[in-house]
Amino acid sequence: MLDWLRTDFNYGYPAVTPRTGVLTPRAAAVLPGAGADRWLLVGAPNVGKSALFGQLTGVYATVSNYPGTSVEVTSGTRDRDGRAVRVEDCPGMYSLLAVTEEERVARREVLGADERAIVHVVDASHLDRALPLTLQLLATGKPLVLACNHMDEARSRGIALDLPLLAERLGIPVVGTVATTGEGVDALAAAAFAAPVPTDGWGLPHPFAAAASPLAGDAGSTLVAELALCGDPDLAASLAEGDPVRWREAVAARDAQWRSAEEFAVALATARRRMVLALLEGVVPEAPTARRRRGAALDRVLLSPWTGFPIVLLVLYAGFYKFVGGFGAQTAVNWIESAVFARWIIPPVAAAVRGLVPWAPVQDLLVGPYGLFTLGVRYAVAIVLPIVGAFFLVFALLEDCGYLPRLALLLDRGLKRIGLSGRAVIPLVLGFGCNTMATLVTRTLETSRERIIVTLLLALAIPCSAQLGVVLGILSVYPSAVAVWIGVLLGVFVFVGYLTARLLPGEPPSFYLELPPLRLPVLRNVLVKTGTRVRWYFAEIFPLFLLASALLWVGELTGALRGATRLLEPVVRLIGLPNDAAPAFLYGFFRRDFGAAGLFDLARAGVLGPAGLTTAAVTITLFVPCIAQFLMMRKERGPRMALTVLVVATGVAFSVGGLVGWLLRAVGGWA
Amino acid sequence: MKCTMCGTTAGCSGCPIASDFYLPETLAALEVGARGTVRRLASPNGADLRRLLALGVLPGVELEVERRWPAMVVRMGYARVALDAGLAEGVVVSRV
Repeated sequence: MLDWLRTDFNYGYPAVTPRTGVLTPRAAAVLPGAGADRWLLVGAPNVGKSALFGQLTGVYATVSNYPGTSVEVTSGTRDRDGRAVRVEDCPGMYSLLAVTEEERVARREVLGADERAIVHVVDASHLDRALPLTLQLLATGKPLVLACNHMDEARSRGIALDLPLLAERLGIPVVGTVATTGEGVDALAAAAFAAPVPTDGWGLPHPFAAAASPLAGDAGSTLVAELALCGDPDLAASLAEGDPVRWREAVAARDAQWRSAEEFAVALATARRRMVLALLEGVVPEAPTARRRRGAALDRVLLSPWTGFPIVLLVLYAGFYKFVGGFGAQTAVNWIESAVFARWIIPPVAAAVRGLVPWAPVQDLLVGPYGLFTLGVRYAVAIVLPIVGAFFLVFALLEDCGYLPRLALLLDRGLKRIGLSGRAVIPLVLGFGCNTMATLVTRTLETSRERIIVTLLLALAIPCSAQLGVVLGILSVYPSAVAVWIGVLLGVFVFVGYLTARLLPGEPPSFYLELPPLRLPVLRNVLVKTGTRVRWYFAEIFPLFLLASALLWVGELTGALRGATRLLEPVVRLIGLPNDAAPAFLYGFFRRDFGAAGLFDLARAGVLGPAGLTTAAVTITLFVPCIAQFLMMRKERGPRMALTVLVVATGVAFSVGGLVGWLLRAVGGWA
Repeated sequence: MKCTMCGTTAGCSGCPIASDFYLPETLAALEVGARGTVRRLASPNGADLRRLLALGVLPGVELEVERRWPAMVVRMGYARVALDAGLAEGVVVSRV
């Protein structure tokens, strides 16, 4: 039955021990690719790639930015018989035909010319959906291993898989894993270490192979030729540049038979799906015993608008307002700030510095009012860390149980009004944690129009958690002030989003995503995700905190600070705030939360009344993005867009702030 | 839409002529609980075709509509995907 599909299949390899789980490829030691010490994890989103990555590398995974490229590839190491194996985790992708920026990043990694072994991670319950990508990966000529993750879910659904049979047909090791418990992880590591180079037994089916073969020589592989013919713009451009005549001929031949790149792609995907179904015959039970999906009732409750929206509000209230704003920004901050820092850390350090360093300006640099230690380290560790840590914990929890895709689905219609799709929920919510990180995550959006709208909204109307925590902490004494603040931000969010969507040309966005099953969050996953993000955050912002402290110290020393403050004073007075608020805005240039934390000090000193505080909070939230976010906008959107956002944000912040201040004073009452 | 064989617009499940012919409907027109087989992707927009490919919505796939609002949720085997009405318009199905 399968023979017609095989082009050049090597039956003898690898040796299969029936139904014992993992297989040891025969004579693995002498095969090319054996002993691969760099592994690349590839797979669709939500198949447990990150959890598997954590299991393979341990908690000491390091997050690295790939230099020069806009790639977020996580890498870590695994010790294997004294050799360090480098494991890299790609962004999720559904197919090699990239739709989003992150898929492009992943594709570049896969097609890159190097000696990495690829570990294709798939969901054991959806083999039919994942194997088309496996067949394409086979064609890269790299050592390949298939990891069937979530085996526990497949078992609970009554799907008994014959993995050895699949391994035999594919000619590569196939390992069943449960990343959450660590089941099969060692076996996977052993298989990946000895991963054989596949024999490319599952090439392109007949008419498509003929279409791609004239190009294959130039492309280096039929895979690249296939993707280019399917309409991948980057690969098509590079092939057209290589040999324009041959490329034009190939395109003409394709269009004569299939009319367009897209129809070629659909026809090929359909043919490949048929190959996959044949391949899976006997591997996946014909008619698996249908069982009621666990969590189906809960899922209906989450997705139905009647119950779904109240749940969104409940999650926002309990998770973010109560836990991040209440516990993180108040209980934890107060304790670390006043108990730990003010009592135990600052006095001895200050005394030591003053004892050891005789020169006053240097004393100030370290422990003065703008000192590296008293301002930089204290703000970072005592005020920002607890808040941001609490936020990332809640976010990781929501991420791990599969709530975020449901939130995206619920909010899709609303977001369409402002030119976005439900997918924008993820960067927007993450923005409440760290706008810089969220600006990076806009890559998951499809069109540059959506990316621009989200970038602008993040810079303007979404307060990051540090800012949010500090502002809520200050305003919480006056509930009506909190209401005004939230109302104004929401208004600006909707108005600016609506306006931008009208002004920016482009197609309306479309929404599609796979809904992963609801899963009980796994503590380990949640902690690893939180830890990774907090570490990223610190690496990114801690130097900026210190830089800001140093600059403020220089400014204070040279008098430039007083000059700059004096320049800001008229603007600050214009929106109805006292001169003392000016430095807070100055800090805001360095870090959004820095500025908010400056307000914290003012509120404590009792300089600002409720009306003034509300005005200041609104203005500082809308105010320019921090340096880190600005740099990220420049990197992701280009310098022109970054500058435009900066100017727009400043303008909107002061005009809206002024308006709010004026209205509050006109209304009077609690000013 | 009309049947691919005789042009009728009335329901013709269990067509007397042949099983190969079907009454095409778009996925967007199926009600909750309805099941269908994808026959062809008719979206005029190349980007939409690529999105449907990424979702695994391909000719021959059987699916069941679980939800229509606020977006469509469709079950395909053990996988469930969400898509908006715009994308669902481009999927031609026949009822099972």
